[in-house]
Amino acid sequence: MDLQRLEGILSRYACQPADLIPVLQDIQDSYNYLPKDELKVVAERLHLPLAQVFSVATFFTMFSLVPKGKHVCKVCVGTTCHLKGGQRLAESLSNRLGVDIGYTTKDMNFTLETVACLGSCAQAPVMMIDDTYYARVTVDKVPKILKKYQ
Amino acid sequence: MVNLTIDGKAIQAEEGSTILQAAQAHGMRIPFLCYHPAIKAIGSCRICVVEVKPGPPRPQPACTTKVAEGMEVVTNSEKLQDIRRELVKFMLINHPLDCPWCDKGGECELQNLTHELGIAEVDYEAVRKPINNDFDSKLIERYNTRCVTCGRCVRVCKERVGASAINFENRAYFTDLGSGQVPLNCEFCGTCIEVCPVGALINKLFKYGARAWEMTATPAICQFCGGGCDYEVHVKDGQVKRVRRDEGNPLLCVRGRFGFGVISSDQRLKAPLIKKGGQLVEVSWDEALDFAAQGLMQVMAKGGPSAIYGIGSPRATNESNYVFQKFFRVVLGTNQIDNPGRYNYWRAVEGMAQVFGWPEIDGLNPEVLKYAKPFHSTLTLSEEAKGKGFPFVMGQTAKLKEADAVLVIGADVTPEMPPYGWALMEALQKEDFRLIVANPRKTKYDRYAHKKLRYRPGTERALVLGLMAAMVAANPDLAPQLPAEGWAACKEILQGVSLDDIAKQTGVAVADLQAAAATLLQAQAPAIIFGNDLLAQANGKENVVAVANLFLLIGQPANAGSGLYPIAEKNNTHGVCDVGVVPNLLPGYQPLAAGEKFGKIWNKVPSTIPGLTLDEALTRLENNAVNAPQAFYILGGDMIRQLPNSQRIRSILQKARFIVYQGAFMTEVAKLADVILPVGVHAEVNGTYTNTDGRLGQTRAAVSANGVRPGWQIITALSQKLDQPLEYASAEDIFKEMVSLMPIYVGLQPGYRWPCPDLKADIKGTFVPFSVEPEALGEGDFTLIVGKTMGHSGSFTTFAAGPMIVNGTQTLQINAEDAGKLGVAAGDTVTVSSAQGRIAVPVAVNDDLPAGVVFLADHFAEPLANSLTSNSNLCRVNIQKG
Ligand code: SF4
Ligand code: SF4
Ligand code: SF4
Ligand code: FES
Ligand code: FES
Repeated sequence: MDLQRLEGILSRYACQPADLIPVLQDIQDSYNYLPKDELKVVAERLHLPLAQVFSVATFFTMFSLVPKGKHVCKVCVGTTCHLKGGQRLAESLSNRLGVDIGYTTKDMNFTLETVACLGSCAQAPVMMIDDTYYARVTVDKVPKILKKYQ
Repeated sequence: MVNLTIDGKAIQAEEGSTILQAAQAHGMRIPFLCYHPAIKAIGSCRICVVEVKPGPPRPQPACTTKVAEGMEVVTNSEKLQDIRRELVKFMLINHPLDCPWCDKGGECELQNLTHELGIAEVDYEAVRKPINNDFDSKLIERYNTRCVTCGRCVRVCKERVGASAINFENRAYFTDLGSGQVPLNCEFCGTCIEVCPVGALINKLFKYGARAWEMTATPAICQFCGGGCDYEVHVKDGQVKRVRRDEGNPLLCVRGRFGFGVISSDQRLKAPLIKKGGQLVEVSWDEALDFAAQGLMQVMAKGGPSAIYGIGSPRATNESNYVFQKFFRVVLGTNQIDNPGRYNYWRAVEGMAQVFGWPEIDGLNPEVLKYAKPFHSTLTLSEEAKGKGFPFVMGQTAKLKEADAVLVIGADVTPEMPPYGWALMEALQKEDFRLIVANPRKTKYDRYAHKKLRYRPGTERALVLGLMAAMVAANPDLAPQLPAEGWAACKEILQGVSLDDIAKQTGVAVADLQAAAATLLQAQAPAIIFGNDLLAQANGKENVVAVANLFLLIGQPANAGSGLYPIAEKNNTHGVCDVGVVPNLLPGYQPLAAGEKFGKIWNKVPSTIPGLTLDEALTRLENNAVNAPQAFYILGGDMIRQLPNSQRIRSILQKARFIVYQGAFMTEVAKLADVILPVGVHAEVNGTYTNTDGRLGQTRAAVSANGVRPGWQIITALSQKLDQPLEYASAEDIFKEMVSLMPIYVGLQPGYRWPCPDLKADIKGTFVPFSVEPEALGEGDFTLIVGKTMGHSGSFTTFAAGPMIVNGTQTLQINAEDAGKLGVAAGDTVTVSSAQGRIAVPVAVNDDLPAGVVFLADHFAEPLANSLTSNSNLCRVNIQKG
């Protein structure tokens, strides 16, 4: 366990029970996931039951208990995108990357996820890689987009 | 009262009650699932939906909707049944239908709902939820596949137990029960098992033990702490399979729920043993009793009756202990008796008595009832009956939740007295409740405390003095609410106290002292809980005097909840003192001078010469003093494990010429005995216990004693061998004689507590000066605290599988920094040494301990924690690696 990195995060907080979510966010940002050993320390330091820490850590989609890839690719399968082929897009990405939805490639480069709506329905189907939006993505555009991140 | 109709029937319901409660109160059933009477209703499962007029057009949950005047409720329309059916079907999608081998079969609420709603088919399909069962946890198996996510377990653990050890993970359809993605490792109170409507939580000790309908239930009283929880033992084929409490209060602790194995333990003493040629050999009861009688007579022939010393039992029934003291006072003719509470709870009794006086009851009707129900007092109160003394300032567990501020000092509440802990959890639900926890170690309730006072071990009296001084400093006109003597002198002393000095001595900052003092001072119903950590010190009595002084200053016992809450260690610690197993008082705390009254019933007036206290008796024998006792008659327990300085106790007992041990297990003391008489334990005997509240509990024989005997029958049999038979037909018979002689038990019956609430209390106190000299602890780098840990009660529970699975070995608890300095990690062995002895023990790293303080439990035989101590639960020790 990288205690120093964790201490660095904890040192920014008063370590009250209410600090749980911000602390978990910082850990997620820094580690790209929430390592279990670190969560045990967080429970102790924030005076919280371990079961409650895991309850929060597993409730929000922004947290992940398994390491995420360097890039997170979110394909929208919300109503509009669904009609415009979002599902097909997701499947194509899954085939191309060789991972199921919700999983991370072996080289830890991509995590493939689906989301309900990215709020840009007018440009459906939409996907996002890290902080960048890709509008009207047709299946044939996929290889070119992925290349930028490989 | 509110008028409403349910399914057309007009009823009256308590204002503020829910529709569900109102219906239940009138014997009407509304199906429910997430609701449980022991926890707050959250209205999440919607099984209990009803139609309400006037009200919203949608069905409302009966468990959270309050009754209102003129309300019309429909509980069973076709539409409602349809809703319920659909909801249950959703639950069944993922349910494995393990019924044939699930322990819950026959008492499963999901089975019953499915049956009641007539669901024969589930016409839904969905992805299966991933399987996330937990079979590795020590006493509880979790089958998430069977869970209906009602949340009862999560809520009971959080709200009532205060452990928050389980919680939901993930969300929506995938919501799943978890314990932090590691096998459940909690208090193992098992309360979650009890409230689970299905078989998702399984008691490993019970698993496949019986079908629900195969067992017979008998009420009994738990023997493992002073709380005296009433529960039912469930027996199949003469074996206790499990214990259970009632629906409304399902709480028990790990000992109670999982410790019943003491009954069937293969380490039980099953037949009488006598020492022949240095070996203990099995003999018949008759031979053993003859041998015991002869041994005692031989000692008496030389040294007279006072050469025999009796040690009563805080686990035996009131009846056995009463007969025991009568055996000494009448058959032998001596007051040479005491009980092990001398080193613990008796200090609370004496300390409280110094400040508030011994109990006295005036104004009883002179006639004794000829007929009374079994285990009911035969004495009655007259109109003007009055009582005084310390029992009237003692709190009761049932009221503790009404206190508005509680100071816990020198107690680790959950291992020592779980019921106080449950009461604190209830009190904590109130916004304005304040909890102050004072302990050298971090204990469970630190998590909930509004103020923590981390003092140095042995400085309790200084801390109390500091609190009182801070109160006077904050309010110079302060005066006690209760009638009190000696306040002026006490106040003068307090005004001279320097809080800085107190802070230096105790290690508690002045500001914390002041804040805690202010909280207690503002309280209308302050309560003080104190326990082993403070009572087991050599100055335990002085500690109690200090605490009682503090209560005299702030206490308002007229307000519900306000009181002194000492922790009685075992199920009958309070009772053994009440019924007179002490050298200087007759049953009911009556002076030896009152012996005439007893003589009328006993046909012999007891001696007015007080006996020696247990510690005096041991010291005399140690020093070969002329009038030292030469023989012991000991009712159970293990003084070698539990009293300070094990080697000393052992070598003193080795000097005795004759020892009769009447117990259930081969303890260290039993090994020294000349005669061993095996005795029945709680579920094997009839009788009563008096719990820490003074509440009488009745226990009933649920399983056959298999050759062992109830304690009192052994004592009366021995009296026959001594040609002075004490004769009783039953425990009821003994109780009847006993209570006729005990005014303090007036009005008492099972489930009631003494003193009788109808007595007019005349409470008065005297401020008694106390010193703040710290205990002399010897030399060494660390302070050792010997105390109680989760799951155990004395030596008793170390013979039961359940508690030993959870907590089976002695470890030295030490904080990480100290362990680091010693160069040891968890599991490494260290040698701990003091002036008294040395032991090798594995280390458990535990940051609940402050630097320089280490902890050992007094339950285990190997290694013996008390081989290090001298006359207190505290001592200085040195620790070496290896
Ligand atoms: S056994 Fe007790 S402490 Fe453990 S999870 Fe169940 S209720 Fe909570
Ligand atoms: S384990 Fe039992 S009590 Fe807990 S949520 Fe599941 S069904 Fe309810
Ligand atoms: S040990 Fe005490 S708290 Fe636990 S079940 Fe027994 S009486 Fe109740
Ligand atoms: S549905 Fe895809 S962005 Fe809204
Ligand atoms: S029992 Fe009322 S909503 Fe669950």
